[in-house]
Order: sequence, then structure tokens, then C-alpha cells
Amino acid sequence: MGNKQTIFTDEQLDAYQDCTFFTRKEILRLHGRYHELAPHLVPMDYTNDPDVKLPLALIVNMPELKENPFRSRIVESFSEDGEGNLCFNDFVDMFSVLSEMAPRELKAIYAFKIYDFNTDNFICKEDLEKTLNKLTREELTPEEVTLVCEKAIEEADLDGDSKLSFADFENMISRAPDFLSTFHIRI
Amino acid sequence: MSHYNREGLFNPAYHDSGTLEIDRSSSRKSDHYNPYDRDTEPWQRGVADWAPPEALPPYNEQGRYPWDSREENWRPTDNMAMDLLPQQNDSLRWQHNHGSVNYGYQTDSAVDYITAPQEQQAPWTPHMGETLRQRGTRKMSLFPGGGVALGRLGMTEEDVRDEIESGEQDLVKELFAMSSRDQIQAIRVLQMSLQNKRDIRRQVLACKSSKRGLKLTCLTDCTDQVSRSFRRFGANLVSVRQAMTLWRGTMKEIGGKFGTGVLSYFVFLKWLLMFNIFSFLVNFGFITVPQLVQLPNITDQMDFKGLELLTGAGYFNQTVLYYGGYSNETIGTQPTYDMQLAYFFTIAAYLVLCGFSLIYSMARSFQKNFVLSASGNAWCLLCSWDFSVTNEKAIRQRKNNLRIQLKESLSEKSQGDHMTMSEKFKQFGIHLGTWLISTGLAVASCTAIYFLCLDYLEAINNSESQDFSSLLKQASTLLLPFVVSLINLVIPLLYSLLNKIEKYSNPRTQIYVIILSVIGTKCLPSLGVPEFDIARNVLDLIYAQTLAWIGIYFSPLLPALQMIKLFITFYLKKVSLYQNCQPPRRSGRAAQMQTIFIALLFFPSFVGAMSMVAYTVWSLKPSKDCGPFQGLSTTFEAVALWMERLNIQNLPESMWAVWIYNNMIKSELFFYLISLIILVLIYFFWQVTQGRKLLISILREQIINEGKDKAFLLGKLQKLQKAKQTTASSQPAYTQMPQSYDRIQEIEPDYEQSLPSMPRTAEATGPNGPPITSALIQAMLARRQAEEDEEEGY
Repeated sequence: MGNKQTIFTDEQLDAYQDCTFFTRKEILRLHGRYHELAPHLVPMDYTNDPDVKLPLALIVNMPELKENPFRSRIVESFSEDGEGNLCFNDFVDMFSVLSEMAPRELKAIYAFKIYDFNTDNFICKEDLEKTLNKLTREELTPEEVTLVCEKAIEEADLDGDSKLSFADFENMISRAPDFLSTFHIRI
Repeated sequence: MSHYNREGLFNPAYHDSGTLEIDRSSSRKSDHYNPYDRDTEPWQRGVADWAPPEALPPYNEQGRYPWDSREENWRPTDNMAMDLLPQQNDSLRWQHNHGSVNYGYQTDSAVDYITAPQEQQAPWTPHMGETLRQRGTRKMSLFPGGGVALGRLGMTEEDVRDEIESGEQDLVKELFAMSSRDQIQAIRVLQMSLQNKRDIRRQVLACKSSKRGLKLTCLTDCTDQVSRSFRRFGANLVSVRQAMTLWRGTMKEIGGKFGTGVLSYFVFLKWLLMFNIFSFLVNFGFITVPQLVQLPNITDQMDFKGLELLTGAGYFNQTVLYYGGYSNETIGTQPTYDMQLAYFFTIAAYLVLCGFSLIYSMARSFQKNFVLSASGNAWCLLCSWDFSVTNEKAIRQRKNNLRIQLKESLSEKSQGDHMTMSEKFKQFGIHLGTWLISTGLAVASCTAIYFLCLDYLEAINNSESQDFSSLLKQASTLLLPFVVSLINLVIPLLYSLLNKIEKYSNPRTQIYVIILSVIGTKCLPSLGVPEFDIARNVLDLIYAQTLAWIGIYFSPLLPALQMIKLFITFYLKKVSLYQNCQPPRRSGRAAQMQTIFIALLFFPSFVGAMSMVAYTVWSLKPSKDCGPFQGLSTTFEAVALWMERLNIQNLPESMWAVWIYNNMIKSELFFYLISLIILVLIYFFWQVTQGRKLLISILREQIINEGKDKAFLLGKLQKLQKAKQTTASSQPAYTQMPQSYDRIQEIEPDYEQSLPSMPRTAEATGPNGPPITSALIQAMLARRQAEEDEEEGY
């Protein structure tokens, strides 16, 4: 309807619409946001699917992410190489999962990835300590940090291996009804 | 968890245990052969390359287990994706099972999955998507652990590619079998990178079009176009509707700045507004409009004076705003519209609908939000951070709050159990004292208003004989509301003082206490920047809505006033919020609060209002001179008379109504039976809930036991390995883990290079388990051992 735009072909927009939780207009708007991060790098014409990646440093300066303590982890989890370089597809994917329409299971998987700092598929004590430090601006004493993390693992670890596997994490998420609305970034 | 419920077999959490996944980042590209390090990955080949499933040689047809032919390339230190390869050889299967027994139910389920992908009942394959998405990085891989694992095992690129493709083909086949709407849903929740999703989608569409190639291409083209344009139209509708949603932008801003707790207040306000719009439309359509067509003949019209806008009485008394403005005639000739019945049934229907929708919202909200609420440190760390807040100050505030909360919980835990008897007694005494005072205040204010009312009515009656100007009389009607508002202001201040004396630890209890102690509290703003007091504002809303519901019988257009009021309140509160308030101190549980609000709205507010209206309708004598029920002894008599009229007319099509009236509404037996049935159902469901709670605790214990089993079996395997090595090599027994590392280094000198990510320290994984990584080594050794034994056996 109203094909005035030349950024994407209709098929591309259909594909984006079917694969993400965004509408056509939102995808075009996302492209605008992506473009304004680096106007000289990002082409306005995406009909040929150009292979352009923006580095982590540019993405974490977006106003939606700038103040988020986990901004680097978020971008890294959605990047193909794990270093935070996002192509447009990854960019759209990131905001799609973080939008309000994504289901809980999908969000839980990515939340787990984000909190798993050393990417070993477990949230171990060190991961929790890093999370805590990011959340409290490092104003707790090291003993308090250790104590809190130990208590946290005690509470959430179900199978007794003193780290949180995805199942433990998902169990905790299922008991937090606010998760869907807190794990949400508006764009 | 949902995966557990859905498939029962495949639990990705246990499938992707860290023991099996070694390769992670691209920095180790040089260390091993990784078929996925190329830019053009096999599934990115276009549609033309995609071969129908039958053409590709399925893995099963190869006849030989890949390891047999590539024994020399197999490195025991490689990542063992052993659970993921199809089982050809029985002995190997045994080895695999034996070697993987330590992973228990985890890998067995994976084996089942791979060998029998077609037998999955779930038409939609999130688990397939999970295997297709490697955790940790976004590299496309069929198996967690990566094709790296297979590459390390010496399989060639082609085999790996075939494996991936067959997995993909299964996914595409399953997607193809669904309807297009389900397809879109399924693709959206696949956990792959967007590029891969697009490719999968393209393959599915190509599959569809190739299938349809046999049929009339023109017709299918047309239907394709039509369905696509329908979908686009639908999406446009959705976006238009989103744009037209009331206050959408404002709510986003508020949520971003103040968090979801404060946002819940505004959501509640909007919900009430929708409620009132609906009721206004219903009442206006069914009662007011017919009345406006034929206005009743009112005697003694009063003039409009300015005071009416304040008192709401006087001139307005005879308009359609009030009960008195409606007549009891039947309007029109053919068909007739009986105003009496219309009035009664509209109000009744509206109240019943309100009740149902409240019950429904409450039940749904309760179901969603009132699960065993997680609290404590783990929740604070992992679930409580609100990602949608973007304001720097707000975030700083939240970080502070979290720190304070954690510190408080740490100190509480340390001293919570140490309250002596006297301290407990003292606290109990304080609670009791404040409760007594607050109830006393409430009772006192109620009696004061009651006596004021009585006196006031007396005064009015007496003053009729005197020469009171009507203006003054009308102004004096304002006295009562004024007094009530004054009480509303003063009493809550006292309550908040009391509240400061009591200290409840749980913030939720605190909210409950505030709400329960008085209806309509107004909090004393603390010195400094106030917070947006959610509880108080919500109570205001509920109070106003209660009044509206009580009044709806007497003034059908009251919802219109309520609408205007809510509209203005929204903007007022928003301005006040931005100018005055700071983000709340405690991260509120917005979802639970929403449930509480609705429950409060329903239970005291709606039920109370409904019972008052019901009492009025059933027992009180309606006004003799005006209104739609003039001359009847009770309002309900209108229905009784109508039923008699129907009975007399004896029309066959209306006899069912008479029958219902006589046997269901008038008979007590019917209500008795219904109550009995409902009670039985409640008891039954309650028992079911109890049973489920028991089941949950049993399952939790089971998980813990399985974890212990895993650790135990790992230890046992370790011991067996040690024993075997000791007997086989007649060397002193290795009693410590690092020595087994050395042994492996003898066999494979570059073991260390190929496993750089394996933590070298003996990580304690638990109080009773050996390091999991050494388990990997043990398992590999065991497998190699078994293979050697088998070969000797040939």
C-alpha cells in the first residue's frame, strides 16, 4: 500500500514483517534510526542487501541504550560475531526481541545470553557478580557482593550444581510476571 | 519450562550443557577447522540450490558410521557431539549411552530427538529452532557444540553440510505443513538470526510454489497476491489502530521515565475510562434517546441559576440527567417502547455486564500475575531491572534503590531471626494500637456524617415552612458534601502518621495495610520531593467509580460526567507527575499491583454498589410523583406486571419468558440448586489446586535428586577410570585430577591447544561433584577404551 519508499523491495519488507514482530512502517523507521547512526556508512538503498555492519561503539550510544547498564552485553548477544558488530538484520532482530510483542520464551533465551558474561551457557557466580556490579555502580563491598551472589544462587539453583542453567533461569522467570514488561526497550 | 510441557522430551536447557560446548568465539579460528567460518554458508545458497529432501543422501543410508572410516582423525579431546549423531552401530550406541549416562536424561532425549524427528507431535518446532541456533554466538549451527564438533571428529565439510541441511529440511517440511498464519508465528519465534529466518522463509515459500507448480499457475498467482495484500492490509490496520490508541505516546514516556509501577496507575485509569464510555453509550442509546424523542410532561419547571453547576440539583433535576426526568409511559405506537422496562433492564444489564467483565479481568490477571511470587536476591539481580527506563536520573535512582534494597535484605536476614520475645510483643502492641485507632477514627467519622445527615434533613423539613430563599436552600445542600470532603482530607493525614509509626517489612503488606485501613487515603507529602503515591491515587479512582456505580440508577448519564472527570484527571496527574514527583523508591511489582487494583475495584466497590442498587430496586418504594416507576410499590414490580400482561395475552412466542420468570426468577429452589452446584465445583477445584501444589514440590525435589545423581555418577565414572588405568598400565594409581590431564597429554601432545577454553582450574561445581570438565575427559577416555576393546573383539 502506497509504495513510495525505495529503501526496500516489497518482498524484503514482507520478509521482515513475517520474521519479526514489526510492521512495515516500524521497519522503515528502524532503518532510519540505523542510518542516522552512521549516515556515511549505511546506504539508503537496501534493495541489494548490502553487507554493512556498525560497530558496538556506535550502537551503544543510541538514546535507548545509552544509560542501560547492560548495553554492551545486549548488543554482543545479538551480533553474529559476538563482538557487537550489528548488521541491519541483527539490529532489527535485537529490537524485535526486545519489543513488547515478543513471547516470553524468546525473551528468556536472550536474557540468559545477556547475563551470561563468559558465554559458557551457565550463569555462574562470576556472572552474577558482574551483573551486580553493573547494577549497583560498584558501591557494595566485595563481601556483600559475594554474599548476595551466593544467596541468589542458593535461591535459584534447582539441580544443585551451584550455577544457574537455562532451566533454573527460566523457572525464575516464570515466577516473575513482570519480566515481559521489564525486559522491553521501546523504539 | 514451556518446552518441557510442550514436548516432554526435549529440554534445551539440559541439552545444551556446558560440557558439550567448547567452541565459542571466532578468536580461536586458527586452532581448529571450522566449516562455519566461511562467509557463504551452505544454507545461504539460493533457492536454486535447494534440493528436495529425497535427492540428498540421508545420513542413514551411508551404512557406515563416520567414525569407523575416520578413526585416525578422531581426537579424543574433541568436543563430543556424540549425543547428536544418528545411531547406526549398536555397539557404538551402547558406548554412546554408556559414555553419556552421566548426562542422564539430558542427552538421551537429544538422541531420541535426532533419530526420530518425524515423530514429534508438536507441529511447531521451537526445539528444532533451538538446535538450529547455537547458544553463545549467533553462528548458524545445527548442533549446539557446533559443526565444529563434527569437524573435529574428522568429518568432512560435506558431511557437516549434509547434516545441517537435513535438519533444515525437516524444519522447512514442518513449517510447510502449517497454515500460513501459523507459519509466520512459528518463524517469528525461531531463535535464529534474522538472516537465517529469512532463508528458511524463502525456502518454505519456494517449497510451496514448487508444489503448486503443477496446478494452474494463474489462479495460484492470483490467490497469492490476494492473500499477500490481505496480510498487508491487516498489518496496516493494526498500525492504524495502534496510532489511534488513546494516549499511547504519553504512556510510553511515563513508562520510560517513572517505571512500570507508575504506568500501571495510568493504565488503570484508561481502563476505567473505557468502562465508562461503554456504559455511557449503553445508557444513552437505550434510555436517553427514546426519552428525548418524547419528553415527559414536567410540571413546576425551575429556572436555571448558576449554582446548579456546583450542586447538580435544581434545574438539572427535571432533565434527563436525573431519574426524575424519565417518564413511565410507553413511547411510540407500533412497536411500543416501554420506558419502565427499558430503564430497569438497561441498568440491570449494564451492571451485570460490568460484573462479568470485572470477574473475567480479575481471574485472568490473577492467573497471569499471582504465581508464587519470586522475591529475594536472585529476583532482584536478574528479573527486576527495568530495561525500558531511559532517563539517566531515573536509572541512577533505581541503582541506588536496588543497592539499598539489597543492603536491607542482607541486614534483615542477619537480624530477622533474632527478635526477642519482648521486641515481638512490642511490635505486636504497636500494630494492635494503630489498628484500634484507625478503626475508631473510621467509625467516628461515619457516625458523625450520619447524624449530620439526620439533622440536616430535619432542618430542611423545618425550613420549608419559613421564608427561605431558594438560592440559600440550594447552597445549603452543599454543606454535606463539604463536610464529607473535609473529613476525607483530615482523616487520611492521621492515618499516614499512624503508618509512619508502624513499619511493615514487606512492601506489599505495606500497600495492603494502607489500602485496608481507610477508603480514600490522602498521604501527607513527605518533606522534599514527593513520590507519586500509587496506592492513594488508585484508591481515589476506585472511590470515584464506586460513587458512579451507586449513582447510576438515579442518574443514568452519570458515566458521562465520570468520563469527563477521568479525562481531566489524566492530564492533571500527568502534569503533576512531571513537575513534582521523582521515580518511586522501590521497584514495584506492577503486574501484581494491577491485579490488586482490579480485585479492589471488584470486591468492595462494585459488589457494594450493586448490592445497594439491588436493595433499592427490590425493596424501596419508588417516588410517587416522578420517574419511570411512579405508582408501583417496588421497582421490580414493573417486571412482575409485565409478566402478568404477557401471561394474559397468552401468545405462544412469549410463553417461554413467562415460564423463565415463574420457575427461575421467582422460585427459591432454583437458586438453591445453583448455589449448591457452584459450591461443589469450588470444592472440587480447590482440591485440584492442592494436588497440583503437592506435585510441584515433588517435582522440585526430583530435579534436585537428578542433579545429585548426575554428580554421583560422574564421580563413579571417574573412579572406574582411575581403576582401569591403574590396572592397565600398572602404574601407581592416579588420585588427582591434574594427573589425568597429564596422561591425556601423553597421548595427545597438543591437547592443550585444542581446548583453550576449557577452564584449567579444577572448578568446583558443587559441594559434592567433581569438576564437570574432567567428566568430559573421562567420558572421552571411556569411549576410546570401549572402541579399542571392540576392535580387539573383531
